Amino acid sequence: MSNTTGKNKGGGFLAGLRNGLSPMLNKEMRSRTRGWRSPVLLTVYLGLMSVGAVGFVWLNMAQGSTINPQMGLSFYGILVFGLVLLLSFIAPAVAASSISGERERRTYDLLLSTGASLTGIVLGKWLASVAYLLFLVLAALPLLALVFLFGGVPPSTMLMAVLVCLLTGLGYGALGLCLSAVLKRSQAATIVSLVLVFLLIFGTPIAAGIAASNINNNGYAPEYYGAEVQQPGVPWYLFMSPLSALTDAMPGAGEVGMGRGVPLISSIMNELMRQFQPRMNYEYAMKASVSSSAIRGASGPTTGGVDTVKKPGLMASWPYWARFALHQGILVIVSLLVAIAAITPRKPWHIWRARKNASGA
Amino acid sequence: MIKTAGLVKKYGRVAALQGLDLEVPTGAVYGFIGQNGAGKTTTLRILAGLLMPDEGWAELAGRNVVRDPRGVRQVVGYMPDFFGVYDDLRVGEYMLFYASAHGIRGAAAHKLRDDLLELVELGSKREAFVDTLSRGMQQRLCLARSLIHDPAVLLLDEPASGLDPLARVEMREILRELCRMGKTIIISSHILSELADLCTHVGMIREGRLLRQGPLNEMLAGDRVRRFIMRCIGPEEGAAGLIGGWPGAVVSNTGHGQVEFSLTGDAAEAAALLKEIVSVGTQVTHFAQTEQSLEDTFIQLAREVNGA
Repeated sequence: MSNTTGKNKGGGFLAGLRNGLSPMLNKEMRSRTRGWRSPVLLTVYLGLMSVGAVGFVWLNMAQGSTINPQMGLSFYGILVFGLVLLLSFIAPAVAASSISGERERRTYDLLLSTGASLTGIVLGKWLASVAYLLFLVLAALPLLALVFLFGGVPPSTMLMAVLVCLLTGLGYGALGLCLSAVLKRSQAATIVSLVLVFLLIFGTPIAAGIAASNINNNGYAPEYYGAEVQQPGVPWYLFMSPLSALTDAMPGAGEVGMGRGVPLISSIMNELMRQFQPRMNYEYAMKASVSSSAIRGASGPTTGGVDTVKKPGLMASWPYWARFALHQGILVIVSLLVAIAAITPRKPWHIWRARKNASGA
Repeated sequence: MIKTAGLVKKYGRVAALQGLDLEVPTGAVYGFIGQNGAGKTTTLRILAGLLMPDEGWAELAGRNVVRDPRGVRQVVGYMPDFFGVYDDLRVGEYMLFYASAHGIRGAAAHKLRDDLLELVELGSKREAFVDTLSRGMQQRLCLARSLIHDPAVLLLDEPASGLDPLARVEMREILRELCRMGKTIIISSHILSELADLCTHVGMIREGRLLRQGPLNEMLAGDRVRRFIMRCIGPEEGAAGLIGGWPGAVVSNTGHGQVEFSLTGDAAEAAALLKEIVSVGTQVTHFAQTEQSLEDTFIQLAREVNGA
């Protein structure tokens, strides 16, 4: 047995990071391809998507021999909506056992006693689950490509949908990982993460809708013509839901406007986002024309309007997907930091106590 | 090599360690003895950098477990009492995973894997899935894993627990080989007879406090408390009463013309007691000091503590 300790063991943060990332990714990928769970999950996932797609086409074709021009868009809308929803729930479920599973398997202590840093371990676990989600997204691409049979969806929009899927997986996967580190048991982590994800997806739009309806009901129109209008814009927490970003991934859905024909899911998105554009409602009622750029994020004073609108915040000019990306980014960072803090044996108070003892000695 | 001072660890209101002071010299095989819940595993987890003490400090090879846990992990190989394996990995992959987690990659990792698997006699199982190994083989694999980064210190928590007699013998042989390699080893175990065969030093812990520690031969030979067995013709009650009344003597067992007792003091004290027993007319056929075992020493110490 040769002594390679000095030569191979690097000190410092980067070495610890690499010692965690490299073996973790390698092992997780190997494990996922070997077990029975992965093929079963993939089969169920693609099966659900396929059943939805076939069912939709079958229902539409049953109505007549002609193909409605809107059918492609609706088909795409349903597919993307289903894809995002499935990934939203698969991502935390996949990650929720990553750290608690080590505890349950009693490999946790062995892992922590290696040269891998906690950051490396957590990042390795997270990236492994992200890689698996990427695999799931890629696996669904052929199904998405069916949309091209009907036409009407530009590839850029489809790429945007893939981006939203990935962002969803990144954020919610990190949330699942965080709960896995905090809650210790995989079952508890899975349940709590699924409930939280459900609330984030559907709860935030509902809460935002209720808030917006209150604003509308309380009279959003200025008291007199020319009065200053304070527009609340879209509430920030709405962008914790991938549904908000889907408005950018649906053709026409981002261009919120009256009477624009956007099929099915896109219409839902439109209606949802329109709820947060009270100014538009007001102006619509006043039969005023509204420019698309002004509507998006309730930004900018209208050129034709006479009332003065307060300037919105910086984020108001961002596209929805970018705001969703920002929120997912924050979710990822916070979740990973909490996960690292949860698994570290050396809590801040230990360091503080050690320093105190050292200074006292 | 290993030193702790005033280690305190509490789990809620339960104090697992209450000011533990250990001292393990370099190259020693230190047997860590104690009952269930005495604080052995907590101590080993603190030494491995997996648990932080509430008070006190611990150093391994000059590295402080609180201030430099990463440094500690570089010099420590830890084998917990209960551990799991990644059942979807092969034995060779399992070893390479931990090698990589210690920063050892490429040809060096492959060589280490092969060498260590040979050391623990699992070379032929390299391609087998870990979960197909027997309990004894998994223990040996875990030991090999803890050696992957060539640590100077090995912390083995009940390494022979759950093993059949043959697997225990195999494990003991491997540990002897590691002793010859100059590793400093702390072994916690309930099977005290096995520790006596293997250890150079012993520490006895009870309720989070160290009762005694030192070189094994000193612990056994230098013990003030000796155990004796006396046999006589006829009833032993009279002799037992006399022994029980002798200063420093404690009768542990009587019956069938036999008295077992412990005596605090040297050989002259034992001779004086024997003379007294004979002088009252007891026909003594056998009077001998029994061989002191680690178990005896531990039990006596525990009784002393209880008596105190």
